[in-house]
Amino acid sequence: MASTKMKIKKSAEGGHDVMVLAKHPMETGLRKDKKTGEKIPAHFIKTMEFALNGTAVAQADLGTGVSTNPLISIHLANSKSGDTITVSWVDNMGESDSAEKTVS
Amino acid sequence: MKRLLMLSLAAGIAMTGASAVQAISEAEISKDIEEFQGFFLKRFPGLTLDDFQDGVNALPQYAARRANWEINMDFPQYEPEMDKAATEWSAPFANGKSLADCDLAPGNTYPVFDAASGDLRTIEGDINACLKANGEEVIKNVKRGKMARLVAHYKSQFNGERMAVDYSDPGAQDWYAKGRQIYWAKRGQLNFSCADCHVHNSGNSVRGDVLSAGLGHGVGFPVWRTKWQVAGKPWGTIHRRYGGCTSQVRAHPFKAQGEEYKALEFYESVMNTGIPLKVPSLRQ
Amino acid sequence: MKRRIFLKGSVAASTLAVAAGAGLLSPTRVLAAAWPESAFGPRPEAEALEAFFGSSDVVESDEVSLKAPLQAENGAVVPIKVMTSLANVESIGVIVVKNPAPFTTGLEVMGGGAGAMYSARIKMGQTSPVNCYVKAGGKIYMTSQEIKVTVGGCGG
Repeated sequence: MASTKMKIKKSAEGGHDVMVLAKHPMETGLRKDKKTGEKIPAHFIKTMEFALNGTAVAQADLGTGVSTNPLISIHLANSKSGDTITVSWVDNMGESDSAEKTVS
Repeated sequence: MKRLLMLSLAAGIAMTGASAVQAISEAEISKDIEEFQGFFLKRFPGLTLDDFQDGVNALPQYAARRANWEINMDFPQYEPEMDKAATEWSAPFANGKSLADCDLAPGNTYPVFDAASGDLRTIEGDINACLKANGEEVIKNVKRGKMARLVAHYKSQFNGERMAVDYSDPGAQDWYAKGRQIYWAKRGQLNFSCADCHVHNSGNSVRGDVLSAGLGHGVGFPVWRTKWQVAGKPWGTIHRRYGGCTSQVRAHPFKAQGEEYKALEFYESVMNTGIPLKVPSLRQ
Repeated sequence: MKRRIFLKGSVAASTLAVAAGAGLLSPTRVLAAAWPESAFGPRPEAEALEAFFGSSDVVESDEVSLKAPLQAENGAVVPIKVMTSLANVESIGVIVVKNPAPFTTGLEVMGGGAGAMYSARIKMGQTSPVNCYVKAGGKIYMTSQEIKVTVGGCGG
C-alpha cells in the first residue's frame, strides 16, 4: 500500500538519509467535526521504528504535535549499497503500516 | 499600464450585464498579454517569466516563507495521493476502457474553446464528460478530492510545457472578454476586483499573507493547501480557490465549473501564455 | 534505560515468553522502547526532559544545530532538522516552548550509526523558540531557534 513512502538519499557525510512520508491524519483530539459538533478523536502515530537489515537502529517517538502526513527523516552512518532499510509504525488506535527499500 | 487602468474603470462601470462586454480581436488580446506580463516583470525586477510558475513563492516579499515551502516541496505530502491518482487513471471502467483512453487536449492548452458547442472545455469538464460517455458515474465534487488529484495527475504529465491557450476563434474571444471583465470588475462588500489585490497590490501584505501576482495564477493548480488540509480537505482546483477569494471580498461565490469561473480561468490562462506548467504544488 | 530492556508487568512477560518461543518475535521487537507517554502531553519543559532523558540538566552546545525556517509558511507544517557532530548519540528531543504540549517528538538511537540527524514536520501554534536536545555520552546538549508563525489574511 503506497501510504508509507520511503526515499533514501546518499549523504555527503557518508551513509544515507532515510526519509519517510506516512499518510496519517495525526488528529490532536481537539478538533471539532463541523457537522456534528463532536470532537474528532485523537488519532496519531506513536512510534516509528527504523531497521537496517532486520536490526532496529532507531525509534522515532511522535505525538499530536507532529504534522498530518508526517515526514520523518534520520541519518544512518553505517548503511551501504545493498542494505535493506525497513520502517514500521504503530498508532494510538493499534493501526500500523510499514515500508521497505533496498539501498541502491 | 494606462490601458489596463482604463479597463478597470470600464469594467467597474459596465456592470449591467454580458451585453456590455465589447468584441475583442486577437490582436488586442496579444497586446493585453504583453502589457500584463510587462507590468509584472517591471514590478518585480529580477524575476523572469518562468519564475511566476511558483505563484506567491516567486515574490521577493515572500522569501522567508519560500524557504519553508522549498523544504516541503522536496518530499511533498501529496505524493501518496498522486500515486493513487495514477492508479485511478488507468483503472478499467465497466466497459474495459479507462480514463487513459479519454480524448483530452494537452494540459497546457486548457481551457479549450469548443467551436461546435460554443462552450469552454476544462480538464474537470472533460473528465466528467468522458466518464459519462463511458457509462460511468460522474464525479460530483469538482473542486476537491478525487477530481483535483485526477486533474493534477493529468496536468503533471505536461510539466515544463509552456501555457498556450488558443484564442484565435471569435467565440473564444467572447469568453476572453467576459473573463477579462470579471477580473477587473469590483465586487462584494469590500468592493475589490481581482486586479485590486493581484495587480495593484501584488507583493503587498494582507495581515500575515503576501498577495500573489496575477501573472502565474493557476499554473501550479490543482494544489495541496495546508490551510485546507487542516480542515481535512487538502486538495483544491483553481475554481475552489476562486470561490474562496470571492467569498473573501464578501461577495457570493460563483459556481465551480460555471460560466463565470470558466471565463475567468480562460482570461488568466491566456495572461499566463509562455509560463511552464508545474503541477501540482503546495501552498499554505 | 530501564524501560528499554524490561517490559512492565508479569502478564506481558509471560505472553512475551510464549510468543518468543513460538518464533513470532524477532529480537528487535523485544528491545523496542515503549512510547514515552510521560514526556508528551501538557507539561512543563523540565518535566518532559526528565521523562524523556532522565534529567533536565542541559548545556548549550554548538555541536548541535537546528535547520529550520525563520518564518513558517504555515504553522501546521513546519520542517525542522536537528543535526549533531557529537559521538555516541543516545537520543534527540524536540520541544516547542509555546505549544500547549511542548514535547513534540524524539528519536531513540539503538545502532546503525543513527543519531547524526533527525528531521520532522511539526505543528506550531504561535511564534515560539524551538529547543532541540541531544543526549550523548550521558550528557544533554542543546540549541534553540525561534520560528515565527503569522496569521494569514487570505482565506478561501
